[in-house]
Amino acid sequence: MRYLIKNGTIIDPANRVATIGDILVANGKVERLYDLADLHSEREPLGSDVEVINARGCVVAPGFTDLHTHLRQPGEEHKETIASASAAAAVGGFTTLCARPTTRPTPDNAAAIRQLRELADRYGSVRIDLIGALTLGNEGRALSEMRELAEAGCIAFSDGGRTIADAALMRNAMAYAAALGLPVMVSCQDPHLAAGGVAHEGAVSIRLGLPGIPAAAEEAIVARDIALAEATGAHLHISRVSTAGSVALIRAARARGVRVTAEVTPHHLTLTDRWLLGWLEERNEIETGRPGAHPDLSLPSWLNPALLPPYDSSTRVEPPLRNIEHVEALIEGLRDGVIDAIAVDHAPHALVDRDCEYGIAPPGISGLETALALALTLVHRGELDIVNLIAKLTEGPAQVLNRSPANLRPGATADIVIFDPERSWVVDTDQFVSRGRNTPLRGQRLKGQVMLTMAAGKIVFRRDDFGRQAQAAPQPSRLEGILETE
Amino acid sequence: MSELRRHAIDLDDFSAAEIEEILETAESMREVLGREIKQVPVLRGKTVVNMFFEESTRTRISFELAARALSANVVAFTARGSSVEKGESLVDTVRTLQALGADIIVMRHSQSGAPYLVARHFRGSLINAGDGRHAHPTQALLDLYTMRSRLGQIRDLNVVIVGDVLHSRVVRSNLWGLTRLGARVTLCGPPTLIGPAAFWTATWPTIRIVHELDPLLPEADVVMALRLQKERMQSGLLPALREYTRVYGLTAERLARLPKHAIVMHPGPMNEGIEIFPEVATASPAAIEEQVTNGVAVRMALLYRMAG
Repeated sequence: MRYLIKNGTIIDPANRVATIGDILVANGKVERLYDLADLHSEREPLGSDVEVINARGCVVAPGFTDLHTHLRQPGEEHKETIASASAAAAVGGFTTLCARPTTRPTPDNAAAIRQLRELADRYGSVRIDLIGALTLGNEGRALSEMRELAEAGCIAFSDGGRTIADAALMRNAMAYAAALGLPVMVSCQDPHLAAGGVAHEGAVSIRLGLPGIPAAAEEAIVARDIALAEATGAHLHISRVSTAGSVALIRAARARGVRVTAEVTPHHLTLTDRWLLGWLEERNEIETGRPGAHPDLSLPSWLNPALLPPYDSSTRVEPPLRNIEHVEALIEGLRDGVIDAIAVDHAPHALVDRDCEYGIAPPGISGLETALALALTLVHRGELDIVNLIAKLTEGPAQVLNRSPANLRPGATADIVIFDPERSWVVDTDQFVSRGRNTPLRGQRLKGQVMLTMAAGKIVFRRDDFGRQAQAAPQPSRLEGILETE
Repeated sequence: MSELRRHAIDLDDFSAAEIEEILETAESMREVLGREIKQVPVLRGKTVVNMFFEESTRTRISFELAARALSANVVAFTARGSSVEKGESLVDTVRTLQALGADIIVMRHSQSGAPYLVARHFRGSLINAGDGRHAHPTQALLDLYTMRSRLGQIRDLNVVIVGDVLHSRVVRSNLWGLTRLGARVTLCGPPTLIGPAAFWTATWPTIRIVHELDPLLPEADVVMALRLQKERMQSGLLPALREYTRVYGLTAERLARLPKHAIVMHPGPMNEGIEIFPEVATASPAAIEEQVTNGVAVRMALLYRMAG
């Protein structure tokens, strides 16, 4: 089957392409790209085997890569399976998932990796890359057989959400990884500083009486790991950066040439710890009569923390949602390139595990299906341009993985997402294809939705009957303005 | 009278007028408690379940006496030996109690915010009898009642709360009540047991945070000492109990430096010889026993506001 994606706004950051045009897909590859210049030129007639997909008013971009997915299979299939995770990925526009080694048994040996590879090949509908465990059982006590893992096809090493407390062991791990040429992906949180904590240490944790996790708990380990990367020459990748201090440390390290990359999640870019207050927030404002005092007023009106009850366990994430100063620093870091990628940290949980007291709720958000729309709030607010956003979901992750980026050049694998950046929708977790319904965004109105996802030339997700009929009139879109400035 | 209250989770949603109204009602309830037959039929036919997931003698008994004085059927539920020990979730426990016909749940829980979860799954009324570090609204109400009955009014009182502020639910509920009624509140304690001042003033902008107790004493109308849990030392928050007592303990010498009319309070249970000394706890400025007595009347007043 061949497809002609017509009249879309093609944004391909890796090739510096932003144009209105058509893409011809054949045999799982991009065959041709027709831009504005080709609009009036003669084309060879289409055969009857070509399906035309009308993408007018929509963005056509390379499929997204998520650096941070928790697949849950094998081991916790009640939370997610490889099939449901890859279906959720397709709904979210992701055509590549990098699986963190948090499945059970821990993929800390070649046999476990081969088992995962087999499952992923059998049940995955998008590309799934595997990250091996850095230490045995992710326990931070003994190194895994890293070379064997690399030979079995791991693309990086990580200990899931855990920080290796032992700095000497961490140095050895980095030295090994450096020799193997693979990145070490770390989640940075000092276990002593964070002990018992469930919320960002600050005004909200004090008001709610929740044990706090100071920003310094992250920054101390970011500083340590940067020093170790500098000493060993390893490629350090900092997962889910959440504080202003971390951004500053990474910026300084990169300036002096340390090989350090970083990712940030959509939720850390857009939500703050005030989401833990839920509707208490609204009540506060009424009480004080100071609407201007609301620190999140810069957030778009369609994101409303007051839809949640106080202490909603869906706001529990690692690292915790920080305050607005940190959020602003993360956006700045994304804009100026210190942060390479947006990574979902897709962490599905079963409802039964989540309808519980805040302090015992498992951390994480099921994020693949909302990631794009949430990140797009930055674009709608004018804080990030759409080309840069797409780069952080395509080119950026590829750079972290040291591979050539997903792109739309002829010959490239046809991993393609088509999304309508203006389409408004309400998050209904009953409609999720992920088994994880845990998200603080339930009931929120978001803007921007994936209409069609193609993985290696195969349509893996199509919303309604998207693209089958010619649309009557081009929709006025802010995209036109964006393109003119390119 | 204003409309009935459904839940009492914290004092943050009580207006000054509502607090005053409860304190007035508590006055009448004290009168009831002074009668030969200490019972009125306000909650006749209603079932109150005391659901305590954490040990507490005084609060549990106080609620029990209050509910009985209002003629309610009172059932005690303790986590020990119950289905909770067999792994039942909080939500399931609440659904079970609801199916059994509970009208009012009084809950004590070690996790901050647990009452909001329960309130979402319970059709009756919920009273928070203390959740983690978050809130203890009836303790704050009885503290306000005690201050008012000893000192006349709350407005413009200098209230010093000293001790382990960081881990205290009593402090947080008192901050809502005291600031709403116009008191001037100072939190005092070692930095490790308070944290940065800005974290507190973001929510309660009028309060002061200091680390020295002695300079506050001559101006104080109320000094409230908080329980210092011995675990705090093990977790490295304090160098030594002896040092804590030397700087923050309510000793007879410190008592002597308070104005004549000032009162000393403690939410209990006390560590005598650590945050407060026996001779202070029993001296005439101490209102600690009154706090306990007033607790029953205040809880009756709150139950009355919730049941009509």
